[in-house]
Amino acid sequence: MKRRGQVPVGLMMLATFSVVTGAASFSGKYRSPDEVAAALRSLASAHPQIAKIVPIGKSYGGVEIVALRIAAQKKGGADPDLRTAAFIGANIEGLHLIGTEAALAISEKLVNSYGKDKDVTELLDTRTVYIAPLLNPDATRGYFSRPQQERRSNARPVDDDLDMRVDEDGPDDLNQDGMITQMRVKDPEGKWLPDPKEPRLMKIADPQKGEKGLYKIYTEGLDNDGDGEYNEDPEGGVELNRNFPHDYEYGLKAAGLYPVSEPEAIALVEFLDRHRNIALVLNFSTENTVLNLQQTGQAKAAADRAKVPRMMATFLGLEPDQEYTLKEIVDAANASGMGGGMEITEDMVAMFLGMGPAVQIDKQDMPVIEAVQKEYKDVLKEAKLGYPEKRAKGVGKGSFNAYCYFQYGVPVFSFDLWAVPEPAKEQAKDALTAEKLKTMSSEEFLALGEDKIAALLKEQGAPPNFNAEMLIKMVKSGQVDPQKMAEMMEKMPRPPAGDGEEHPDAYVLKWADVALPKKGFVNWTPFRHPTLGDVEIGGFAPYLRIIPPPDEAEKTIALHTDFVVSLLQKLPGLEIRKTEVRPLGSDVYQLTAYLTNPGWFPTSTAQGRRARTAWPITVRLKLGSEQTLFSGRPVESIPYLEGSGETKKVEWTVKGKKGTSVVIIAGTPRLGTTSATVVLE
Amino acid sequence: MRAQRKIEIYLLAVFLLAGIFHPGILCPEEVRLSFDHFYDHAELTQALRALATAYPKLATLQSIGKSYAGRDIWALCLNNPQTGPAERKPGYYVDGNIHGNEIQGAEVALYAAYYLLKNYGKTDFATRLLDERAFYIVPTMNPDSRDWYIHKASDPDSPRSGIVPYDDDRDGVADEDGPDDLDGDGSFTMMRKKDPHGMYKPHPDDPRIMVRVKPGEKGEYILLGEEGIDNDGDGLINEDGPGGYDMNRNYGFNWQPDYVQRGAGPYPFCWPETKAVRDFILAHPNIAGAQNFHNFGGMILRGPGAKNLGEYLPADRKVYDFVGKRGEKIIPRYRYVTIYKDMYTVYGGSIDFLYSTLGIFTFSNELDLDAVEQPRPERRGAQEEEDEEGQMMMFQSGRIEEMAYHDHVLMGEQWSDWKPYAHPLYGDIEIGGVKKFGQRVPPLFRLAETCHRNAAFCLYHADQLARLEIEKVDVAKLKDGLFQVDVVIANSRVTPSMSAVAVQKKLHRPDRLSLSGERVELVAAGQVVDRFRGLNRQLKVHENALWVEGGVPGFGRLELRLLIRGGGQAEIVYDSLKGGYKTKSIVLQ
Repeated sequence: MKRRGQVPVGLMMLATFSVVTGAASFSGKYRSPDEVAAALRSLASAHPQIAKIVPIGKSYGGVEIVALRIAAQKKGGADPDLRTAAFIGANIEGLHLIGTEAALAISEKLVNSYGKDKDVTELLDTRTVYIAPLLNPDATRGYFSRPQQERRSNARPVDDDLDMRVDEDGPDDLNQDGMITQMRVKDPEGKWLPDPKEPRLMKIADPQKGEKGLYKIYTEGLDNDGDGEYNEDPEGGVELNRNFPHDYEYGLKAAGLYPVSEPEAIALVEFLDRHRNIALVLNFSTENTVLNLQQTGQAKAAADRAKVPRMMATFLGLEPDQEYTLKEIVDAANASGMGGGMEITEDMVAMFLGMGPAVQIDKQDMPVIEAVQKEYKDVLKEAKLGYPEKRAKGVGKGSFNAYCYFQYGVPVFSFDLWAVPEPAKEQAKDALTAEKLKTMSSEEFLALGEDKIAALLKEQGAPPNFNAEMLIKMVKSGQVDPQKMAEMMEKMPRPPAGDGEEHPDAYVLKWADVALPKKGFVNWTPFRHPTLGDVEIGGFAPYLRIIPPPDEAEKTIALHTDFVVSLLQKLPGLEIRKTEVRPLGSDVYQLTAYLTNPGWFPTSTAQGRRARTAWPITVRLKLGSEQTLFSGRPVESIPYLEGSGETKKVEWTVKGKKGTSVVIIAGTPRLGTTSATVVLE
Repeated sequence: MRAQRKIEIYLLAVFLLAGIFHPGILCPEEVRLSFDHFYDHAELTQALRALATAYPKLATLQSIGKSYAGRDIWALCLNNPQTGPAERKPGYYVDGNIHGNEIQGAEVALYAAYYLLKNYGKTDFATRLLDERAFYIVPTMNPDSRDWYIHKASDPDSPRSGIVPYDDDRDGVADEDGPDDLDGDGSFTMMRKKDPHGMYKPHPDDPRIMVRVKPGEKGEYILLGEEGIDNDGDGLINEDGPGGYDMNRNYGFNWQPDYVQRGAGPYPFCWPETKAVRDFILAHPNIAGAQNFHNFGGMILRGPGAKNLGEYLPADRKVYDFVGKRGEKIIPRYRYVTIYKDMYTVYGGSIDFLYSTLGIFTFSNELDLDAVEQPRPERRGAQEEEDEEGQMMMFQSGRIEEMAYHDHVLMGEQWSDWKPYAHPLYGDIEIGGVKKFGQRVPPLFRLAETCHRNAAFCLYHADQLARLEIEKVDVAKLKDGLFQVDVVIANSRVTPSMSAVAVQKKLHRPDRLSLSGERVELVAAGQVVDRFRGLNRQLKVHENALWVEGGVPGFGRLELRLLIRGGGQAEIVYDSLKGGYKTKSIVLQ
């Protein structure tokens, strides 16, 4: 049987050709951890000036996790590890192999385009990109081992069923088809039955509809430890993308014993911590946080609004019984001067008011995120990939993406690259739409006939006692005309589907039947099970919904490579745009420095400032021995700069000998440092 | 007498005499520890080694890891192996001094170990405890800051954290500006300066006490804060001292990052000390009860640490209340309180991790109360404006009493009187205040009492861990080679063999009853729910064993009815992870 993943030779050649010319391309197959490591090594050795492998850590199972650092360092230029950087991660869930390939494709594009493409060259001359294509190597065993089974967990042995034995009962490939699917067994207590419209799919019986269950469903396998449970303690492990500390789910074994318990998670957190120059995280995972902005935390109504304690409220001039947003309180606090010269920040207020962790994307950060979202939607629309935008999955509890925004405090965008496409909704040629109705006259409408009118009413979800006859009477009497009907149709929300409801997986099956006939769905086939008796084995093939067939991967990887490169060019920066010296007489000079952010992203997120992981921009004045500071502080600070060239100024008055110079040094960990020298004259 | 003989007799006499005055020489097992001083790490190490050497059968010393600066974190494990291996007994864990300045917990822990070892074989209580329980005692889990507090200049509140460099003021440099011992007296006290625009004046009855002036009243002094200079020239004084985090916010249950819980660190268990303790506790899953010592305030704390966790399950609350309330009687003036309700919110604390992740009943004692003898007015809670002056008066009279205590009880040892000093920034100032051992740690004359009473509380709690007995086994022969065996497992202590939270959240494996024998097979089993009517709830049997998902209740019994096929000798084993391991032999005939 031809294995999924085998690619025609022609396509392979095309892929190779693309690599040579520097275009983004998909290698044609999904690579194992060893192959990924080899690919990175070969990129680094082919481009030693700009590509270097940097270690992140080791998986529980002992596999090295690395990143490729891509940056061009000019002689005497800033250290790449101190320049503004982006971190591109992939496959932290272990089953998103297409993400790994996308990350590798981006690596190739960047290193191959350096010196050839103007934008990429400028990017790599001034910024740094860390790309880590495989953050959960242990779990990829699920794809590359036989039998194949979807797996997100690392190699940590866990006694899932608390029977003092570890990993003693996992799934088994009973029908020897190289995959773990499902078993259905007729059982008096069974809750499942075949979907009436698509009997290959199983649904839970709905007693309200008079349905009685017939089957129990198990994962394919034996009761290896004879305890009456099936496959309850498989190999592994902890799901890494549940192991991060934002809205971590305690008490769930798959999430780990406690947040950041797994070596992979510790390594990643420490890498981000040590590389404080990372200002943007892009991630490839099954979560699409560009399209789906929903968060997991409880959206407490007062999450971002709070009452101020009485004594403090009167001091600030606020009402004690009223709720204010965090920003309003911070502004009032700073205006009142209660900080005594020190700026009062959001995190101070939030902590004082006991507001707990942030659970919603900060309102101040939304415009940036929505702008990226809009651009991405436009790109998707143009590419016509057939990506089902409505099904985009948001962050989960304990997700790495959530950690990057809420605790690490940088903008994070996660792309899933591909999902099973929805079939295009077929409109019957003569279907009555609101558009059509608008152009009809009452006579034309009545001429349609009672059957068609009844069908229209049914489709629109009209109540059963309002039938075609009544509507015809109303049209005849002039009470209603087609235009009015069209308006009402457009205004009303689409009614939920009634009895004609489709199984939620029906669209997957439809697609699989066309794209992967006989391989996407294993038909239920009888099997004699040693303890369960007569069973049937079947179900969706593993990885079906997550990893596209290679020919579909090509297009989406190319699109996302371009989009990611365009995002990288939006990284923030810090420049001293202009300096001014104005002599005031008697050897006293007024110095002004204008700081600007030439990038598109702001220099920090509001959440980062609240989480205290976004540092302000410090501007230091280095005076010589013959100079003294008259006004201003030796170290001034600017909380942040918006994007696209927002500029703020810092001023000092200095007394010094004419012709001497002072140095102004501005910097912050995420943006590196920049300096300017001014001469007093 | 021949000269040689004379010398021999002389030497013998010397040895005998030496023996009278120094029992240690004749009897090397004897260890004498005194609790009238604080032990630094070196002396603590010596004392622990001496105990382990003197009681090799009962005590094992183990280094569970190294602190940031490379000091061993010691654990003394106590058990009588003759009555069973440690891991098969309910375990009791103690640690002290997680906060570097809260040192007296180490002395209490050392005292508890010393007490048990010294009294083993002499008192029933100590003997029974070492026979029936396993003890894991970590006197100090923060030895670096302990030594810093004892030997270097510090104050009663610091260093609280470990000494891993920590950039408190986020200026890119760590630990660059802490307090300075300007007057060289070994403590960081306070600075004041005479200033007509100041907001403070001397107390009319004791000029050493600074009181705030009333609105409109003319002041005499400005209070400048703790002793120090602007070491890094950034315009702030003492804004970034050594360390600056809080290890008791670094545990992995209900952990929150720094902006929600100051000092929590970048992720749970990121520091070597918390890592070491975590690994040690995870390696001893038989630990069923625990104590984390802190100071101060005279409290016996239990969780939950934060409101979002909700109250503990009723069955577990009963256990805590039983032991905690008894604690109030063992240690007078200490109050049994719940952290989030009566104190403040703690995210990521040890108590929550031990209880909610591992199912261990954990108390945390805040050792020692205010120095002043009389009860102080409750200073927390909202006060009406009219009462403010009344409050101020009571507060001030308390301070007068405090100074009297310093003068006449401590005889000035812990009070540094205001002395002039020329400060580089502020000019002529005065430095003075309470010295580092003058608050939070007990005065040395009180230390032994703190040790004994709190150790007694720990031993009481340890005694109240589950105590299981296979109380009764009734064998009845049935037809067809079957036997009906009724087993009763009784628990004579308040702690159940499995905490309610462990049962509810499946935190660890359940209790297990198993049957072994050449010719026996466990066919079926049930838990008796009504012994008058003979009603049983069926339990699943697999490979001659069954799981008891709910364990044995505190002060309760578990009644099981077993159906066994076969005959001859058999052994019943009740194996509880935290409740102990009990066996009973039976004969089926």
